[in-house]
Amino acid sequence: MRQLLPYFGVATLLLAVLALWARQIFLTHKTRIEIQLPRKREAAAVSTASHDDLGERIFGLEDWDFVSRNTPFEIQKLFLHERAALAISWLRRTRTRISLVMRTHLVAARQTEDLQPANELKLALSYFVFLILCDLLIGCIWLRGPIRTRKTIGQTLRAVAWLRRAIELLMARVDPANCKTLRTSFNHRTVRS
Amino acid sequence: MSPEAKNIEIEPAVRDLRNRTLKKLPGDFSRLVYLASSRDYNTGQYYHDGLAFLFSQNVVSQAMALCHREIFDRLVYASLEELIEELRNYISSTNERPEEFLKSWKHLGSYRVTIPSECDELGAEVFLSNVKMALAILETRQKPASQDEQSA
Repeated sequence: MRQLLPYFGVATLLLAVLALWARQIFLTHKTRIEIQLPRKREAAAVSTASHDDLGERIFGLEDWDFVSRNTPFEIQKLFLHERAALAISWLRRTRTRISLVMRTHLVAARQTEDLQPANELKLALSYFVFLILCDLLIGCIWLRGPIRTRKTIGQTLRAVAWLRRAIELLMARVDPANCKTLRTSFNHRTVRS
Repeated sequence: MSPEAKNIEIEPAVRDLRNRTLKKLPGDFSRLVYLASSRDYNTGQYYHDGLAFLFSQNVVSQAMALCHREIFDRLVYASLEELIEELRNYISSTNERPEEFLKSWKHLGSYRVTIPSECDELGAEVFLSNVKMALAILETRQKPASQDEQSA
């Protein structure tokens, strides 16, 4: 029975990748109205709070240092519960946002003649890794809490920044108009989540 | 109208509001509550009689909305320790008994109405969670003090 365990592991992993792939294919077949969401949201511009900065705020250790030093156990428990909820909310929003960007990119990529398969493949792979990472992190936070998962979250924040830059570079080549929209929505800190 | 042009138009009203009204209030939490209470909940418009003498109602409302968002963002990014201090300053400025204030805010969730109408949803979540924590911490600090008063 033990000999079969590695095969089960590989099969589970393959199933997970296939499920994500299927989900991705399904998402790319959504209507154009949904794909154009970023432009619409841009008009609702308002807060100066940036999504990434809020991530740093949520996972920052400053508050936990204060709470663990100065408050009783029940308050510490409440704090960890509250931060776990915020962390999961942040991750879900980040995932939704990146998915939206990828959908926009896919539409743009279909219309371009100067497609670079190597870049597209790199982007697709990093996107899949990102999706798996997000789901794993949500599970980790749920099980272990946001403070213990903090190091991994730091890596995710860096991965998000890298993915964003990669998408921007690709978009600049294939669809300058969409690229401008993306820059606005990410950098000008104006999009409502 | 572009956002830049809009900002130039409301800038004098913002400056006036900051220097004559908001500066006199003790801390950002007091300012946040003041601005939220100047808002008509049915229309989302802000009103300020003094500013209305100098500027149009539209400019007044936009200037107040801008200041409201600025202060809200500062509080979202403030550490929990700073937020507790802000909240304590605000409580002492109201002349209410702290334990009653905390009880009321905790049960009624009065702080929910202080959120600007146009803000990042996650920012609002962070703010609500932090105020909830700050109230819980202040309440635990308040308990020994009120027990001391009773025993004395």
